[in-house]
Amino acid sequence: MTVLAWRLGILVAILAVWEVAVRPLNPIFYVPPSALPGALVRMWRVPELPALGEHVWLTFTEIAGAYALAVAAGLWLGFLLGLRRTVGRIYEPLLAALYAVPSVIWYPSLMLFFGLGPASKIAFGVLLGFFPIVLSVLAGIRQVPATLVTVARSMGARPWTVFRKVMLPAMASTMVGGLRAGLALSVVGVLVGEILGSRAGVGYVINYAYGLMMTREYAVLALIAAAAILAVDTVGALVEARVKRWAG
Amino acid sequence: MPGGTTPPTPPIVLEAIGKRYETTSGAVQAVDSVSLTVRAEEFVTLLGPSGCGKSTVLGMIAGLVRPDAGRVLVDGTPCDGPNPDKVALVFQDGGLFPWRTALDNVTFGLELRGVPAAKRREIARGLLEPMGLRGFEKKYPRELSGGMRQRVAIARALALDTPILLMDEPFGALDEQTRLLMGEWLVGIRRRARKAVVFVTHSLHEAIALSDRIVVMTARPGRIKDVIDVTLPFPRDLNAPEVTDLRAKLWEQVREESLKAMGNPP
Amino acid sequence: MGRLINPEGGSRPPSGPPPEDKVAPAKPALEAASPSRYGRFFDSRVGVLGAQAASIAAVVVAWHVAVRTGVADPLFVPAPGAVAGALGTTASEALPRLGDTLAKAFLGYALAVSLGVAGGLLIGSRRLVHAVAMPYVVAAYGVPKILVLPWIALIFGLGTGTAVITATLFAVFPILLMVAAGTRDVDPTLITAAVSMGATRGQVSRKVLLPAVLPSVLAGMRIGVVFAMLGVLLAEMFAGTRGMGFLMQRMAMAFKASELFAATAVVSILSIVVVLSLEHLNQRLSRWR
Repeated sequence: MTVLAWRLGILVAILAVWEVAVRPLNPIFYVPPSALPGALVRMWRVPELPALGEHVWLTFTEIAGAYALAVAAGLWLGFLLGLRRTVGRIYEPLLAALYAVPSVIWYPSLMLFFGLGPASKIAFGVLLGFFPIVLSVLAGIRQVPATLVTVARSMGARPWTVFRKVMLPAMASTMVGGLRAGLALSVVGVLVGEILGSRAGVGYVINYAYGLMMTREYAVLALIAAAAILAVDTVGALVEARVKRWAG
Repeated sequence: MPGGTTPPTPPIVLEAIGKRYETTSGAVQAVDSVSLTVRAEEFVTLLGPSGCGKSTVLGMIAGLVRPDAGRVLVDGTPCDGPNPDKVALVFQDGGLFPWRTALDNVTFGLELRGVPAAKRREIARGLLEPMGLRGFEKKYPRELSGGMRQRVAIARALALDTPILLMDEPFGALDEQTRLLMGEWLVGIRRRARKAVVFVTHSLHEAIALSDRIVVMTARPGRIKDVIDVTLPFPRDLNAPEVTDLRAKLWEQVREESLKAMGNPP
Repeated sequence: MGRLINPEGGSRPPSGPPPEDKVAPAKPALEAASPSRYGRFFDSRVGVLGAQAASIAAVVVAWHVAVRTGVADPLFVPAPGAVAGALGTTASEALPRLGDTLAKAFLGYALAVSLGVAGGLLIGSRRLVHAVAMPYVVAAYGVPKILVLPWIALIFGLGTGTAVITATLFAVFPILLMVAAGTRDVDPTLITAAVSMGATRGQVSRKVLLPAVLPSVLAGMRIGVVFAMLGVLLAEMFAGTRGMGFLMQRMAMAFKASELFAATAVVSILSIVVVLSLEHLNQRLSRWR
């Protein structure tokens, strides 16, 4: 059997087992896959649930804002630490230490400071998302072969030109990986923030459904969110592959 | 032959062995109909261009690769798997275990056999010392130079005291100078080692410096093109006229096959 | 002519290597030379540590000044002194909760390590399993596990079970992926060498695979610790009544800023210490690399 056949087989098997195993169980806890499409339809019309469209849009804007800031902060900090040797030597270990801390403990402080609105979600998204970006910039700088820079300088290129035409392309593959991871983490940050404490957004609706034990609706929402995130990450992977092909 | 004694069984007999591989682009005949007998304490070199199947032949003698045609006899019995009591191998990149010190690498085979620890270490030290590695027993492969690593690999193979030693381009990953020195060193210990050795290389120099017999192989599919006996005394002066003649003759043969391997027949 | 010999000019005795940007760099490090003439002081460990300590101290001082002068609202940003004081008052409540959190994290971590290492070895060593299972593993890793948390909480309630399961879930993936990668990367020549010397299957596993894979296992385990803690804290914040996460959420909602900052600092320092110890342990065990 080919690999593809095996993979599809496993997927079908999982769905089948899920369906059969869950049918007789308590519907509050266990949702069979067959119940999901119906739940999706109901969600748009059920009065207990808030208007889904607005929440999705809010979450989307929060993610966009968080990622934009994460990229800006990440690139700035990454180049600062990577290009200025002394600054890097002093502050990079501090950054690495921060990496050892479970990120979620910052969230209560963010909630206290920014409130329950979108600001705390964006802040948390930035906090999570900028790390991989900084790390990838640092790694990228380090793996630029010194000979390339020497060649450019020997041809008379000035520092800015060297940076633009030699370092950036040489760093591209590494950086795009970090940018992709940063996006994934910004999304996680926003979602976690919403689920842990907010008044609006996809996370809020999930929390709401959970609170009311509307398991089917929660399941559909979670699955769709998961699918959307996977789709975005797949696009990210394609972009990364394209950049890697170009940059070598 | 002294009356009454039967001729000793040659350690290695290859009877028309062949091997084909299935690749994505179709079947490939790596080795075709190779027959060879290696006598006790004889040093035979398999010489040929890259990809001519010499390593595959070695793999079949070692019992790591199963022939599709013919059979391999080690000490008279057909070979159907690894034979650690009879055959020891040295690989091109050493194959040293990076997490073990030099000493522990050499004792690995002895450990598998259940030799007690003190005895193992004694044997290992006894092998490493004449190789100039005294004082390096506790070093890890990462801390050793390429030449040293290969010596440890050879020591590891010698530790099992097998009658047959197979070496697959053992000096291939070393730089030129180290290669030459290692070649000289190997000549020095070969007679003390008293083993049948099958040595794979693509270096004419090494073949001439070390062998009793040189087997020239063709480009893929690998067959035996020629077998040349080298009866010069050791150590061999590579500037002597007999050697230069031999080298010219060998080069003529090997060149033809190398060109074929590279894709432009002469 | 003097310029060529002493590019920095005569104001400093020409000791030490010439500044990096005057000589073609031969090392992989590409950073521009520090233009400051004090740059060389920070080449030493003491210099770096001193600068780090000084920076942290400067931040604390600026923080203190900001609160004192009213730039930062003490309701949201407590003064450093107040935070230090809060450490004392909350200790009696916080410490047992911290212990509770750590216990749950440890349990989840142990489970994750067992599952992750076993799974990683299996996936890494068999081609077919790897090809079939990997897309699912990667997909599962790519989905934010927070989405599953409400369901776990529904089934397992507001207590220890949810926290432990969440911790396991968070920690198992990075461990599994690292071990799988490490297993795949084992040099096949090493296995061939062992087999040629007569090693049985069991001996190959024990004497070759295991030591070869150990660095990956350790790396995965190091990362897993932070993820396990993350999982427990997250579960406690979402659906907990005990534990540090729940306490911190409660402090935030009650605007107890000093206490919250103190708690955050304690957990942070604890995590850093744990991870640094694991790093140190890893260095010790990896002398051969």
